[in-house]
Amino acid sequence: MIAYLITITILVCVAALVGLALNLQWGLAGLVNFGVVGFVAIGAYAAALLAPEIGWLPAMAVSAALSAAFSAGLALLAIRLEENYLAIVTIGFGEVVRLVILNEPWLTNGALGIADIPRPFAALGDAVGGDAVFLVFAVALVALAFVTLEGMARSPFGRALRAIRDDATVTSALGKNVFALRVRAFAVGGAVMGIAGALHAYYLTYIDPGQFTPIVTAYAFMAVIAGGRGSNVGLLVGAGSIMALLEGTRFLKDFITVIDGVQLSALRLGLIGVGIVLLLILRPQGLAPEPRRRTSDVLPDRTTRS
Amino acid sequence: MTDSFVVNRRAVVAGLGALPLATAFGRPALAQGAADVPLGMVLPFSGATGSYGPAMKQAADLVVAKVNGAGGILGGRKVKLFIEDSETSATASVAASKKLLEVNKVELVGGFWGSPEALAAKPVILAANKVQMLSCAANAVTEGDTKGLIYRLQAKSSQWGPAGAKVMEKIGAKKVTVLAQQNPFIVAMVEPFKAEMAKIGGQVMDVVMYNPDQASYRAEVEKAFGPEPDAVFVLPLLTDMVSIAKEIFRGGFTSKVVSLGTGADAEGKFLQAVGPEVAEGIYHLQPSPPIDSPSYARFVKEMGAPEGTVFLFAGNAWDQVCITVLAMEHAKTQEAAVWTKSVREVCNPPGEKVDDVVKALKMIRDGKKINFNGAGCTCDFDEKGDSINRSFYVQLIKGGKNTPVGVVS
Repeated sequence: MIAYLITITILVCVAALVGLALNLQWGLAGLVNFGVVGFVAIGAYAAALLAPEIGWLPAMAVSAALSAAFSAGLALLAIRLEENYLAIVTIGFGEVVRLVILNEPWLTNGALGIADIPRPFAALGDAVGGDAVFLVFAVALVALAFVTLEGMARSPFGRALRAIRDDATVTSALGKNVFALRVRAFAVGGAVMGIAGALHAYYLTYIDPGQFTPIVTAYAFMAVIAGGRGSNVGLLVGAGSIMALLEGTRFLKDFITVIDGVQLSALRLGLIGVGIVLLLILRPQGLAPEPRRRTSDVLPDRTTRS
Repeated sequence: MTDSFVVNRRAVVAGLGALPLATAFGRPALAQGAADVPLGMVLPFSGATGSYGPAMKQAADLVVAKVNGAGGILGGRKVKLFIEDSETSATASVAASKKLLEVNKVELVGGFWGSPEALAAKPVILAANKVQMLSCAANAVTEGDTKGLIYRLQAKSSQWGPAGAKVMEKIGAKKVTVLAQQNPFIVAMVEPFKAEMAKIGGQVMDVVMYNPDQASYRAEVEKAFGPEPDAVFVLPLLTDMVSIAKEIFRGGFTSKVVSLGTGADAEGKFLQAVGPEVAEGIYHLQPSPPIDSPSYARFVKEMGAPEGTVFLFAGNAWDQVCITVLAMEHAKTQEAAVWTKSVREVCNPPGEKVDDVVKALKMIRDGKKINFNGAGCTCDFDEKGDSINRSFYVQLIKGGKNTPVGVVS
């Protein structure tokens, strides 16, 4: 059971990294990125291809850099587009990445995928037993990403992004360079998605194009929405609950014997849908919504004014 | 600020509370009788290959009921089967395998219809020193270090290709094109097919690859049939073959069509989906179950299917359970690392041929040397765990029915 929970927690860590990145792009800056999976795939493939050559840590750094570069490039091309159009362009990007990976076997081994990706701390992991060391590494990465992104969200940069999300024209009138800020937000998000992809590749040790389908993007959006858009704490809660829901439902058939496996697999996905609809009805602001400042936080309290 | 922080903290606690909830769900499964022998399978019920899972589950459940009905194994212990959905996803199959291994403590993780799912789960299963049994084709799964724990009950990709070429020879097709889906199972058969075609003096004019889940296959079909080859080797799965067959029918092409049982039969689902007119004249091949044996006829009957149905994967699931219980009985233990050494003892010749699992169990108890023959194959394995003596069964769809053409090997 413990080892299974470790696996699930590592998968939650990957989902949380993707979610944190999306939370910066969409939650904070209001940039709809439906191509999340493309950036994760770039990170995963960069790590898988480079890790045997240059070691896993440099490979992870390259995944982050490469994914950030693609993000920035896409942002330079498309970020001026209005919300819905940006969504369409990013969907297209995600599909392009998947099709390139599938159809360029000289680089990516095509549909056969890449097996035997070296896993960091494999030797150490064997000594301590199981994936515990990898789990610590994954949690540390999430903690690092959380602290960095939360720091950003509280910094002037984060405030400017929120202002852009709420009203880009006003922000621009106040002298902020909206375009540059958006490109930066997109690139930082891309880097974190690249790291998530690398972590995914290192954990599974086998990747193929079938793992990078739009469902990855959907889960990331679900995590952000469930947690509360713009809130990093909420994101962690959201990513955790989505995975708990996905995996927890696996156990249903073990003790409800009336439903057999075939019906359950259909029912499972239905239940998850119902869960999200209920969440949106009962708690539209998310499980842990973004903290909002009120006037009283900034202005002195009227009663204490002399 | 203070107010909103309180809400946050509660929510965090609530969220964290959800995780142990998953643990609580697991308890009833653990509460099974200590004497049960747990086996697991990862099968596709949802996603692109979801249509292949239910028959495999049915077969596995049937054989488990049969073994338990006859008194179980290892001195009266019952077999308990846990089945998880692979969701046609490598990531999901890793989580599912991990759950089976760690929560249900299974000794076998079988099933594995798709190669990506099997490849991703392989390191997890080997690390736990349990046995992995496959119904998938990609060569890579049995390559590298398998620790002697992996068994494939299906033909390898590199065996399908040459078999296709032999069908081409049989129907007199010299100039051919290939129309193939980009997936690990199929990609690996293209080169062996080309090599075999060259050997028998044929010519492969073009190889057209298409991506899975396309909305339309018209462009690819026209490209493959355009040069008017003698025949086109169409390598699909079920859902895309349905669209492709309609496209071929609509285009009125005259080239012969040779396809795979995975797409153009799929245990009869293809004919149901397209109807006799569209399916007319399509050849298809698949690794043959022992069609003429009484055990196979009995298997088809127990599955409740019409006589003559060719089950490509359900038989594999059936055999996976059979082999496991026989090897356990032979090794007198449920410990996977031990009974894996008994698999070839009970499956490969020499030995008395037997195809009924209950009878085979009894013979093992009586100390006889047996050679088990299954419902999906003869269940003989080479040193890598690949099944040997695979022959392919070729059928032609005529008048809305699969009619046998012959066997190639």
